[in-house]
Amino acid sequence: MDIRKVKKLIEMIEESKIAEIEIREGEESIRITRYTAPPPVVAAPPSPAAAAYAPTASLPPETVAAEAEPEFAHVVRSPMVGTFYRAPTPGAKAFVEVGQTVALGDTLCIIEAMKILNQIEADRAGVVAKVFVENGQPVEYNQPLFAID
Amino acid sequence: MRHDAAPDLTALQRALIGLLADGRAHSGSRLAAALGLSRSAIWKAIHQLEALGLTVHAVPGAGYRLDAPLELLDAEVIRRALTPAARPLAGEIRVHECIESTNAALLAAAREGAPRGTVCLAEMQTKGRGRLGRIWHSPFAGNIYLSVLWSFSDSSVLGGLSLAVGAVLIRALRAAGVAEAGLKWPNDILWNERKLGGVLVEVTGETHGRVAAVIGIGLNCHLTAREAEAIDQAVVDLHGILGERVPSRNQLVAALLAELLPMLACFEERGFGAHIGEWRRYHVFDGRRARLELDTTAIEGCIAGVSASGTLLLDCDDGVRREFASGDVRLRPVSA
Repeated sequence: MDIRKVKKLIEMIEESKIAEIEIREGEESIRITRYTAPPPVVAAPPSPAAAAYAPTASLPPETVAAEAEPEFAHVVRSPMVGTFYRAPTPGAKAFVEVGQTVALGDTLCIIEAMKILNQIEADRAGVVAKVFVENGQPVEYNQPLFAID
Repeated sequence: MRHDAAPDLTALQRALIGLLADGRAHSGSRLAAALGLSRSAIWKAIHQLEALGLTVHAVPGAGYRLDAPLELLDAEVIRRALTPAARPLAGEIRVHECIESTNAALLAAAREGAPRGTVCLAEMQTKGRGRLGRIWHSPFAGNIYLSVLWSFSDSSVLGGLSLAVGAVLIRALRAAGVAEAGLKWPNDILWNERKLGGVLVEVTGETHGRVAAVIGIGLNCHLTAREAEAIDQAVVDLHGILGERVPSRNQLVAALLAELLPMLACFEERGFGAHIGEWRRYHVFDGRRARLELDTTAIEGCIAGVSASGTLLLDCDDGVRREFASGDVRLRPVSA
C-alpha cells in the first residue's frame, strides 16, 4: 500500500471520531487504531539503544500519529525520522526555551537524518509551552516536538 | 544576518599572496619595493599569512617562499570549465577569501531569496561545520569548501539526498584519477579508509512548503602536517594521493559541480533509487564489523549496506538486522 495513502488515512482518522478502521485492498490490509487511553505502564523502560532504532516497518507508527495533546493550542510534530537537537551545535544555546515567544518561521530545532540537518521552523507564532523531546534523542515521524500556545 | 561577517583579507595580504603564489622565493627587498613598504612591514605581513595557515619559508639569501605553489579560486575559470549540461544549472558563483562557513552563508542567502544553483566557495573557513558543529579544519587556499543551494518542493522528497551527493562526488573523484575513492555511510568520502572529504546538507524552509537545501562539501586538497595532526581521525589529501597529477582546484570544483548540478536537477523526480546502485558500488565497508555511535549510546554489529531509503542496515550482535537514520559509523579493526 502506498505510504502516502496510509499517511492520509491516519490524518483522516485523527480528524474523525473513528476509533479503529480496517481496510482491505487485494491481498493487503491495514488496521489503524486510535489510542483513547494512555498506553499501560511497562515494568522496564525500553533500553536507549532500542529507542534509537529507526522503525523497520514502512508504516508510520499509528500510536504516535494518534497521540492526542488536547491541552495545547498547537503542537509542532516531527516531519521525519531522525535525531532531535535543540541547539545548532553541541553546547550552544538552545534555539528556543519554554516560555519564549516565537514568530512564524523561527527555527525551533534541528532533526538530523543521514547527515541532512533539517531546521524545523515554527509554523505559527506564539509562546513555547512545552518541549516534548530531550536533546539528542531519536524522534519518529509525526512525534510531538513542541507545543505552542 | 549571520555567519558571513568574517573579514576578507587585507589588500596587503592579498597582494602578497599574489606575488608568492608561484611558489618561488621572493626577496624581502623586492617584495618591499613591489608593495611600497618597508622590509619590516613585509616581515610582519608574512607572519600574518602564517596565521591564515599558509606555510612561508624564509630561505637565507633568497627570500620568502610558500611551501607549495598556490592557485586561487576563480569564478570565471570554474564557469568556463563546466560541462554544457551543468553550465545552465549554475547560478552565481560566489568566491570568498575568508568566511565563517559557506553553508551558513548560503542558508542566509536563501532566506534573502537567492535562486537555486547559487554556488559559494571559500579559500578559508573560520567556522567550517561538520555534522553537529564539529570543526572542519580550513587553512587558506589548501582545500575545497564548496556549497550549492538548491530548492525542492517539500522536505519529504529529500530522503537519501545526502547519499546521492556522496555517490556523484565519488564518480567525479574517480574520473579525476582518485581510483580508490569510496564511501562510508552516509556520505563520508574516503580513500583507503582515510578521510578525504565530507558532505553536510542543511535544509531550511516550511515543513510542508518549498524548502531550500544547502549541500556543503569539504575536500582535502593540500593539508599541512600540522593540520592533519589537528584532526582526530586518519586523513588524506589529494596531493598525497595524486602527487604531481593533482588537478587544479578550479578544474576540480568544475568537475564536482558538473556531476552535482544535473543530479540535483533530477533528484526530486528520480530520488535516491536512481543512485542506490552506484552508492552500493562505492561503499567500502560491506560486511565489516562496526560500532554505530548514537548520541547517548552505541551499538555493535556487521554493516549490511544501505536500505532503499538510504538508512544504514546493521546486523546487530543480538542477531537482528536493524536500520538507522542517524549515528556515526566507527569501524572495528579487522581481526587477523
